[in-house]
Amino acid sequence: MPSNLNLEELVQETRVHRKIYLEQQIFDSEMERIFESNWVFVGHQTEISAPGDYKTLTIGTQPAFMTRDENGDIHVLMNRCMHRGSTVCQQERGNSPTFRCWYHGWTYNSKGELIGVPYADGYGNSFDRRKFSLIKAARVEEYRGLVFASLNPDVDGLADYLGNAKRYIDLFVELSPEGELEARAGTHKYGYDGNWKFQMENGVDGYHPNFVHRAFFDLQGKDLGRKVSQLFTENSACESKDLGNGHSILDMARTLRPGNKPVPTLLRGKASQESSDAYLGSMIRRYGEQRAGEIFAASNVNLAIFPNLLIIGIQLRKTIPVSATRTDVHLLPTTLKGVPDEINVARLRAHEAFYGSAGGGAPDDVEMFNRCSDGLRVKGAEWLELSRGIEREHSEGNGVIVGHITDETPQRAFYRRWRSLMCDTAKPQTVTQLRVVPTH
Amino acid sequence: MPILSRSEAEDLLYREARLLDDRRFQEWLAMLDENATYWIPCNGEGNDPNREISLVFDDRQRLTDRIGRLESGLAHAQNPPSKTKRLVSNVQIENSTENAATVLSGFILYELRRGKERIFAGRYEHCLHLISGTWKIASKKIVLTNNDEVIDNLTFIV
Repeated sequence: MPSNLNLEELVQETRVHRKIYLEQQIFDSEMERIFESNWVFVGHQTEISAPGDYKTLTIGTQPAFMTRDENGDIHVLMNRCMHRGSTVCQQERGNSPTFRCWYHGWTYNSKGELIGVPYADGYGNSFDRRKFSLIKAARVEEYRGLVFASLNPDVDGLADYLGNAKRYIDLFVELSPEGELEARAGTHKYGYDGNWKFQMENGVDGYHPNFVHRAFFDLQGKDLGRKVSQLFTENSACESKDLGNGHSILDMARTLRPGNKPVPTLLRGKASQESSDAYLGSMIRRYGEQRAGEIFAASNVNLAIFPNLLIIGIQLRKTIPVSATRTDVHLLPTTLKGVPDEINVARLRAHEAFYGSAGGGAPDDVEMFNRCSDGLRVKGAEWLELSRGIEREHSEGNGVIVGHITDETPQRAFYRRWRSLMCDTAKPQTVTQLRVVPTH
Repeated sequence: MPILSRSEAEDLLYREARLLDDRRFQEWLAMLDENATYWIPCNGEGNDPNREISLVFDDRQRLTDRIGRLESGLAHAQNPPSKTKRLVSNVQIENSTENAATVLSGFILYELRRGKERIFAGRYEHCLHLISGTWKIASKKIVLTNNDEVIDNLTFIV
């Protein structure tokens, strides 16, 4: 007999109920209580680097777009004309100082202010354009180029929210000797008929690679003359970490022995000795040998920022919930500022080899999501087991819990946060606020 | 040496289509020259593949790895494999010399996997070289109509 459980009981310390992947009502509540009430990742600032640039995105399932205004500020605006509901931004990306709704000609600027109303006489003296600005995200903040937005004004500052995850974002960004990434190398888009949480669980899963990605590792091992899947065996020295706030990481950094030079061991593909030397030299000049060594050691990254961002390899990965049983995923590969072109080309080629709809790795993960969607139709097996490593994980202090890389410490971190947001007895935070923009 | 005729080009494309639908990968690889490239841009026509990622940007080595993965039995995204039927049409020869030609064609590719049917469409651009009397594929570029949309699985050879 299937249990009749309330939401709090569906997510327990070491197991979660199949319903959370299947029920549209739970999904709708996740949109309200998670995606529309907290920080969500929306993109990289280089996607809209020039004034007038714009890029569409979704917050939860709501259409929105981000813009850069003439002062250089970033806005995240809901894509809905305040007159009678049409979308105002039709292209996925572009550059325009204004956004015109072609239904009745209402026109907005990059800040979302209503600057044009045709045949305005029809509205009389009491009509105040300021009351018809586009709805905008209450908060927009950036950390090292990563842009986050919150529809809820009452959230912690982004830096506090990212908490223990910040130092890993720093390591990712500092692969560039200028400390800056660019996300202008296109987008990979894939999807599956399954729940968004499958993707967020999988991105920080250190147990699956030797099975799902065995064919890829076998090939890679042949090239390099050694087995490469040792990162994910039971003897691996690598760790998984709950970083607090629902964030987590598969930490594959190696401790360097003193006296060893840092080497970009995971240079992500092939580059000439000359380019590698130039890159290494610029990294040591900028960061010093020790820090450069730390950065290279951490260059194999699987970092999850609750609820929707995964930083994996060279990419920023956005998990986009569509419905309880449909998810889209966008991968934004990054290139490094200040390095020889060859290094960035190598990064892109290595990314293509594994990721994207035709990649040699990621599609096999997606296949597992599809198989789980099928399997979870079995009603008699209600629970998904997330107990791996519960007996051997330990606290590192400052809110970090450390497990073995193959343990389910990251998934438990995710659900701890999920539960606190979904089961809060207080009413969900305000979804959106109408923003009145004063004129001068 | 004869310049490639449209019907010769069609014969080559139809043979390729049949080999790929039948998943006879080694025979397909034999249609390619030793430096062949296989390119599927993920953004319209594809800009500079050294500045932007593609869905596929394989040199001969990467293509060999790709086929190796498909034949390993461990490519889960092709287990079970996609059943495909591609129709190639609208064949036009763009540039033709006595030992090289560019062939443009249109295709519709029906794919069935795990009970789901999908239709892909697009344009093939084959560059062919005549080597020892046989036309070989020097490069194959595929401009998929939906290449900048969400594609759930593109692990079969297009």
